[in-house]
Amino acid sequence: MAVDYQKYLDPEVLAGLEGLQLRARRIVEGYVSGMHRSPYHGFSIEFAEHREYAPGDDLRYVDWKVFGRTDKFYLKQYEEETNLVCQLLLDTSESMSYRGPDAALSKLEYAQCIAAALAYLIIQQQDSVGLVTFSEQIGALVRPSGNPSHLQQLFQVMEETPAGRKTSTGPIFHELAERFKRRGVVVVLSDLFDDVDKMMAGLKHLRHRRNDVILMHVLDPAELDFPFQNTTLFRGLEELPELLVEPRALRKAYLREFTAFIRRLKQGCRAERIDYVTVRTDRPVDVALRECLGVRG
Amino acid sequence: MSSCLVIAFGFTNLAILGWLVVAGVPLLIHFLSRRRYRETTWAAMEYLVAAMRQSRRRMRLEQFLLLALRTLIVVLIVLAVAEPYVESTGFTFVPGGERTHRLLVIDGSYSMALKNDDGKMRFARAKALARALVEESPAGDGFTLVLMSSPPQVVVGTPALEPDTFIDELDRLILPQTTLDLPATFERVEEVLSQAKTETPGLVRAEVYFFTDLGKVGWLPRFASEKTESDFRRRVRRLAKAASLAIVDVGQAGVDNRAVTDVRVEEPFATVARPLGLTATVKNFGANPLTEQAVELWVDGRKTGKQNVDLAAGSSAGVRFSHRFSSPGEKTIEIKAPGDRLEVDNRRWLALSVKPCLSVLCVDGHISAGGGATGYLTVALAPQEGKVERTRVCPKVVPESALLEQNLAGYDCVFLCNVAQFTTSEAEALKRYVEEGGGLVFFLGDRVLADRYNRRLAENVKNPTRILPARLAGIVDKKTAGLNPLEYRHPIVDKFRGREQTGLLTTPISKYFKLQVREKSNANVVLATESGNPLVVEETIGQGRVVLVATSADTSWGSMPMWPSFVPLVHEILAYAVGGQIAERNRLVGDMLEGQVLLGPPSRGAATGVKNGKAAGSMVIKTPDNRQVKLPVGYRNGSVVWTFEETNTSGIYTVSPALDTGESSDDGGSRDYAVNIDTVESDLTKLTEEQLRNDVLAGVPIEIETTWSHGETETLGPIARRGRLAVTLLYTVFGLLLLESYLAWRFGHHVQ
Repeated sequence: MAVDYQKYLDPEVLAGLEGLQLRARRIVEGYVSGMHRSPYHGFSIEFAEHREYAPGDDLRYVDWKVFGRTDKFYLKQYEEETNLVCQLLLDTSESMSYRGPDAALSKLEYAQCIAAALAYLIIQQQDSVGLVTFSEQIGALVRPSGNPSHLQQLFQVMEETPAGRKTSTGPIFHELAERFKRRGVVVVLSDLFDDVDKMMAGLKHLRHRRNDVILMHVLDPAELDFPFQNTTLFRGLEELPELLVEPRALRKAYLREFTAFIRRLKQGCRAERIDYVTVRTDRPVDVALRECLGVRG
Repeated sequence: MSSCLVIAFGFTNLAILGWLVVAGVPLLIHFLSRRRYRETTWAAMEYLVAAMRQSRRRMRLEQFLLLALRTLIVVLIVLAVAEPYVESTGFTFVPGGERTHRLLVIDGSYSMALKNDDGKMRFARAKALARALVEESPAGDGFTLVLMSSPPQVVVGTPALEPDTFIDELDRLILPQTTLDLPATFERVEEVLSQAKTETPGLVRAEVYFFTDLGKVGWLPRFASEKTESDFRRRVRRLAKAASLAIVDVGQAGVDNRAVTDVRVEEPFATVARPLGLTATVKNFGANPLTEQAVELWVDGRKTGKQNVDLAAGSSAGVRFSHRFSSPGEKTIEIKAPGDRLEVDNRRWLALSVKPCLSVLCVDGHISAGGGATGYLTVALAPQEGKVERTRVCPKVVPESALLEQNLAGYDCVFLCNVAQFTTSEAEALKRYVEEGGGLVFFLGDRVLADRYNRRLAENVKNPTRILPARLAGIVDKKTAGLNPLEYRHPIVDKFRGREQTGLLTTPISKYFKLQVREKSNANVVLATESGNPLVVEETIGQGRVVLVATSADTSWGSMPMWPSFVPLVHEILAYAVGGQIAERNRLVGDMLEGQVLLGPPSRGAATGVKNGKAAGSMVIKTPDNRQVKLPVGYRNGSVVWTFEETNTSGIYTVSPALDTGESSDDGGSRDYAVNIDTVESDLTKLTEEQLRNDVLAGVPIEIETTWSHGETETLGPIARRGRLAVTLLYTVFGLLLLESYLAWRFGHHVQ
């Protein structure tokens, strides 16, 4: 009897699976079984540039069509440079550990699943994928590689990286923009609870370095719906104060504030041609994956 | 009426206001809810803090508003239960200044004569409170007045718009000493309300105030049938719809009382020949025993005897007196058991005529030298003839032809023995005589024509001269084996019980008329033959009594006249036959008195009698409260009669012919009547508020005001409005509850 891999797209089912590797494989298998088109299509190899032939260059890369038109030797540059390089930026700050009453996975666990699944897909496509975990500073940085054994390292880093305290995305994005020598696709998985202006400045820097940026805004359903009824003491994460409130009386004002925050993010992303995807942790993972890959298609 | 505006707020149930502390409950719940909360970690704190910063002021305002509303709701509920009221003068609180018809119903039962601890009579207190209500009512209101008695009296039936005029009527009101007829009172009240609505449409609202001591006896009526009870309850509900009802309780609970409930003479007539025995019954209605309660006998205003009696709580005892009258004439007997605050039931009167001897007319249908039909009878009636001082009965024998020549009113009893038949005039005279209290005894015999008797004297109930208690069916010519006393139930044979030596049961009767007693008649069989045929039958007709003996008074139809039982039987028949005279002259408060004017030689100066075939002149009645009322006389069935209906006070009423001057004649011809109270009202047990609300006036909104605790102050606000204030408050509460629900929803408390 065939295994129904699609059930592994449900966060409830995923939460019952041990280990990120297993979760990633199940997600991809479930995802692929539900697709009609190749998921690799989105990651087509791009032509980078020509350069003039120099003595010692490998003649296999001479572009003979250009020679036919111009009588000049040009080499096609695509050997290493034309491989897709994807950098996964995973927020491991304290706020990402939140799991609301209606969610099976915390935001970090959910983000890890998506990151792992993306890494799995990219490696299978023979492209390179790297990983950066961050909170108030960069936690772990795994350089991109297309080697299948590289996946194990990524999973291990994601699972073992300790959660940080606060989020400080702005400086980190600036730093990473400088560090990433090769342009590629940068996928940010974060709840983005940070100073929006500084964060957008960092993202702008990444874009400036000709990276394609996909912002996957991971949010718990409780943060989006604020379903609390009774008097509740909210204990703030990331060193924020606690607050005793009557949720029903405050819901409207909270949703107004939160919607404004998301609106600002979307506006910023649109301005910088950054792809913005809202990821609810109570939805099947393939929805988030499809939206992520879809924007690249 | 005061012209300055005085407004006072008050509460009927002041103690309820203690519940106002409950108003703190919403506040307490609010603070307790702040202490009980859930905890959760929260990532998006920045936005929650921002929302809080924005909404803090609004949320506090909303919370304060809801708290204030909830507290106000509790406060208003407590206030409504406490029944707030407004007392005012010169100003009306009634919406729109509606003019009001106030119907004042004052309890006229004699228990209202009781003096409360403050020495003031309940009736006086009720009048004072009614007066205060009238004086404090706004100008333009109308007032009517009903006296709650038996029967109820509509004193002011059309709304009086002038308070002074109404108060004059109120002041003149006299306690009638009757019992209380609650169903009839409510009927009158409904009529007055209905009439006022028609006659004075300007009086938009109606309020009915009952000023009463809430005596249980009067307020818990025993209904004759389920229909009368359901009629009463329907009427109460109609009244409650037509008007606001309020009861002003002027009584005091737990009051002891004793009463002389009965005075009974042992013989139905009194003569100077021998002492009269009488028994007074005294009852202790209180919850405490009475020791050595004095019971006094007064004859013609002089105390002639006194005895002491011990009475346990709730018990009664009979006290026997014996009195020998030294002279004949009208006598009044009074029994007194003094000592409590309700004096009206501590006295009881008896009026009777003491005679040298009882006048008996014996009409003989077969006079003969051997004594005729009445020979044995006259001997039996007056066995010691000649010894006047010991003779109690003075018989006079006349032939049947002389019947119409006799002034029957001068006789206490008429014996008709073996009279063959009666003319119409004779039948009418006998009928009139009986109806006015005379005693009539028929002995039959061989001359009696049964058909004539039946047609003239019996026939049917519509026969205008019907006086026979049974029809004569035919002669039974068979010696009786014995007589059946029918368990000695009837007073005539009661004294034979246990006295077999008198030979009543073995009385030899060889012939008698078979008597047919009509079904559902008031006739009673006194004595029957062994075979079950009625031998002696009696019936009360009008105020007199008729006794029919089926056999003869002589020895032609048996040896009865010679039997030992004959003399006592004749005397018992006589005593019973004249017993109606005592009843006629001893009545209850509210009963009508009536009597016949004796047409003897005119008194000096008296002008009452028959002139030119018509009644002329008048009588004068002297009431217990020393009023003299002139009574016109009338001609009825050949007699000159007078009537008097205003027997509202207990005591002795003396009727005498009026002189030309209009004064009463003192030289004979007067007759005393004793009027006593019905002592059911002597039980002063009060109706509880629960009984009033749940039984008598079940399902009807009514205000109850107890004025007893008010002491000397006689004030009373328009209490029927108090219910309106409470209802208004409850409507407000209802509105506030709706508002609270809406606001709570609006403020997001109930939005998911």
